[in-house]
Amino acid sequence: MNLLTRFRSWLKWMVKRRRLESEMETEARFHLESYAADLVRKGLSQQQAMRRARIEFGGIESHKDAVREAVGVRWWGELGSDLRHGLRLLRKNPGFTAVAILTLALGVGANTAIFSIVNAVLLRSLPYRDPDRLVRIFFNEPGLGLRDVRFSKPELDDLLTRSGVFEDATPIFSGSENLTGVGQPERVEGVNTSFSYFSMLGVVPQLGRLFGPQDFMPGFAPEAVISDGLWRRAYGADPNVVGRTIRIDNDPLTIIGVLPRGFRHPGPTTTADAEVFGAGGFSGDPFPPPIRGNRVLVNGIGRLKPGLTLPQAQARLTAMAQELRHDFPTEYAPQAQWTIEIQPLQGTLVGSVRPMLLVLLGAVVLIVFIVSLNIANLLLARASGRQQEFAVRFALGASRARMVRQMVTESMLLSLIGGAAGIATAVGTLGFILRFVPSNVPRLNEVRIDWVVLAFALLISILTGLLFGLAPALHSAKDAFSSSIREGGRGSGYSTKTSRLRDFLIVSELAFAVILMVGAGLLVRTLRDLLQENPGFSPTQVVTANTWLGVANDPKTDPYLNTAGRAAFDREVLRRMKAIPGVELAAITSSIPITNSNPNSVGGLPIEALAIEDRPVESSRDLRAERIRISPDYFKVMQAMLVRGRTFTESDEDGKQPVAIIDESTARKYWPTRDALGRRVRFGEDPAKEWTTVVGIIKDIKNDGLDVDGIPHIYVSVFQDSNKQVSVVLRTSLPANLLQPQIRHAIQDIDPSLPVFNVVSMNDILDRSLASRRFSANLVGGFAGLAVFLASIGIYGLLAYMVGQRSREIGIRMALGARPGDILRMFLRKGVTLAVLGIGAGVVVSASTASLMASLLYGVRPHDLAVFLVVPLLLFAVAILASYLPAWRATKVNTIVALRES
Amino acid sequence: MAKQIDLLQGTLDMLILKAVSLGPLHGYGVLLRIQQISGEQLEIQQGSLYPALYRLEHQGWIASEWGESDNKRKAKFYSLTAAGRRQLHSETEKWNRMASLIASILRTKSEQI
Repeated sequence: MNLLTRFRSWLKWMVKRRRLESEMETEARFHLESYAADLVRKGLSQQQAMRRARIEFGGIESHKDAVREAVGVRWWGELGSDLRHGLRLLRKNPGFTAVAILTLALGVGANTAIFSIVNAVLLRSLPYRDPDRLVRIFFNEPGLGLRDVRFSKPELDDLLTRSGVFEDATPIFSGSENLTGVGQPERVEGVNTSFSYFSMLGVVPQLGRLFGPQDFMPGFAPEAVISDGLWRRAYGADPNVVGRTIRIDNDPLTIIGVLPRGFRHPGPTTTADAEVFGAGGFSGDPFPPPIRGNRVLVNGIGRLKPGLTLPQAQARLTAMAQELRHDFPTEYAPQAQWTIEIQPLQGTLVGSVRPMLLVLLGAVVLIVFIVSLNIANLLLARASGRQQEFAVRFALGASRARMVRQMVTESMLLSLIGGAAGIATAVGTLGFILRFVPSNVPRLNEVRIDWVVLAFALLISILTGLLFGLAPALHSAKDAFSSSIREGGRGSGYSTKTSRLRDFLIVSELAFAVILMVGAGLLVRTLRDLLQENPGFSPTQVVTANTWLGVANDPKTDPYLNTAGRAAFDREVLRRMKAIPGVELAAITSSIPITNSNPNSVGGLPIEALAIEDRPVESSRDLRAERIRISPDYFKVMQAMLVRGRTFTESDEDGKQPVAIIDESTARKYWPTRDALGRRVRFGEDPAKEWTTVVGIIKDIKNDGLDVDGIPHIYVSVFQDSNKQVSVVLRTSLPANLLQPQIRHAIQDIDPSLPVFNVVSMNDILDRSLASRRFSANLVGGFAGLAVFLASIGIYGLLAYMVGQRSREIGIRMALGARPGDILRMFLRKGVTLAVLGIGAGVVVSASTASLMASLLYGVRPHDLAVFLVVPLLLFAVAILASYLPAWRATKVNTIVALRES
Repeated sequence: MAKQIDLLQGTLDMLILKAVSLGPLHGYGVLLRIQQISGEQLEIQQGSLYPALYRLEHQGWIASEWGESDNKRKAKFYSLTAAGRRQLHSETEKWNRMASLIASILRTKSEQI
């Protein structure tokens, strides 16, 4: 209760301060006058009485101050006056203020922006019910070095019933689907799952209903749930959309519900978010019979039962996998060591971008460090100039704590202004920055400046304020103690201690700059190496386009069901492509190089089992290859190099002897000791299938991305062996956007239900595949440049200040016969010492932390010699340059003027 | 003027409470009242009076109100609150116990030990 009274009184002081202050004055005057009146009554003159009253009572201001202290609000007033004083100082030094606030705004702004991305992508829980219990399920064969292999319906049932750890689990088929029936045929991302998918994630529809157990059927349900985006785009947000029919890959599906606006399928980020959701039982047509060996299911996700920890569940699954291997010895080859692994869903979603984001976060934190060191340096210089002010105040009785508090208040004021500017910068530029963030970063649509981000920004501002404010404050206060007014005069305030502190700040600044530069150097070098890498083909003057023949659930409606139907389509496409003016050559492939990043997904290329003639059967299961279907001119369009043998011809068609072309690394891997030409391979695990003969060997093509060491590739003729993915590659000097309408027209002339998508040049594809690396390299590189700039300002500022301070000494030295060269060397030596110390420290720290970046590098070792040589030399050169200027100015000191001034 | 006694540390608050308990007073009045009761023997530092008054008000033991002084001038009058009355009571009791204890210690003669 007492506390409450005090608080109320304190609040009253805060709120009605002005009135209370004037009342205090009135009261004091009343006291003085009453006392004086009594004194007059005792015989003093009016004047004498007033004088005596004033002396006994003391000054009104100090009286007010004593009262304020008694009530405990004095600090508040002091804070106010400190802030006013601080603002006045900031206004008085516009140059310093501008530099400090600009660099702070940049530092805090960069931190806020990057952290808002980190927060949305890495920290915030997935937007589903109990997201901590959602896991990604991997079936692995560590004995064969395979992760995330396909699984069968009985294995899915084992997860649900036998393991006892899952509340729910579903495979996820995601990939392109053709959407027809609403305007232009369109290619959309579709997802097919079990019927429990939505209840597992805990989603509520905004319209209609979602799939549930009552919908169960062995094959695919003739129904679909659509995303909010598709609902708005294709149906104009029609509230009566439920019940309408949508054609997906030519199958008529009834729309049963619309998902809420923010819903996003928790799958790997593909080119677009999934918009059509289907469900099936995976045990009836079009799925093969549900026997253990029919492994066609992919991408399992599941929800753990409540109260189960991940390690517990993992232990149970490992044990179950062992039991299954024991129970079905013919299904699980012992050398494969088939097993089941679970990982938190969130982790697997962000897996690949995590190191990049952490490195970026590290870079911005380093930048804010450098910014505050730089400001600390400027403040120290200013504090030395204010030495006399402090000495005088100290002499007049100000306590050391009081002076430290004032200086900290001043720097907090600065950091909060800078922080506010930084937050404003981040808010204003976030949308712009996000456009440069590579689209493979998941959950970018969730990035926003929320309270967590604001709290982080505030924390960063306060920490920087403390960092750059406290050290100089403590130092000057200490100095004020030791030095005194006696030294007074101009510029004697630069004590050894302050100078050592400033040296330390510069050295740390340089060290941080080295770390950033080494990081940037490694990233830039990786990028440059990748850009210079020979992809095995010539990407210039190649335009690519895609279509997808659709996988209809009802085979009877599918004109492209057999090879002959597809071959007829392919030939017609080629004929029409070649007829487009400006197209020199045209070819078809099932996989455009570099874009093939998700080999397990439907529509991508499955990694297939493979048998090789004359190889023992036991080892055949560890053979895997990616089969790419191409038309005869493909290598000519891509300008890939045939090493030996021949390419395909028009007559390599259905019914003739199946032929294949392999690349050099496949040849080396599977026929290390003999000539691969003429050898035979068999795709799949069916021993009755025909053998395919190798007729040609080409130089390696980087099919899976410039920075991926791919699995073996085997090319087959599209007229003998094709699939539903049809991509065209054209050699032409025309740009992609010019060709797009003609390509679309040509293909839809053959079949108006086919979508034509991603018409882009091969160069753009290469470029985009490096977007993520380019983004981090550019960002870290930019920060490194800024760091070098700030560090050189630091060195320059320090030396320039020293030259100013020691101009008298220089004058005396010169008068005594020192030559300009001596003076120059004197100051340069200082700069060199600092640079060597800072760069040395930075190199040591970088060398011990560079391996943290290993996962972001490709073809460049974390301790790349070139980077570790170039960075220190470059920074050293910059440091020398920054010190040379003030040193050179020192030699121009006019002896007479310098001596007279003092 | 009789020789004045300096105020014991910490007793000013108690004296103010006592002075105000006899009826509302303005600041200068508190000073006069204490001097008057003590027979002009107590000297109160004028500078320490007001901080003490404000502190007591801050703690909720006295309340203040603007009113008119004897010479028709605007003045701030302090009066005891219920909490202040309790405080004065317990302070008085503590003081008396302490005083009698110290007095009895000071009266002690060697044969009594």
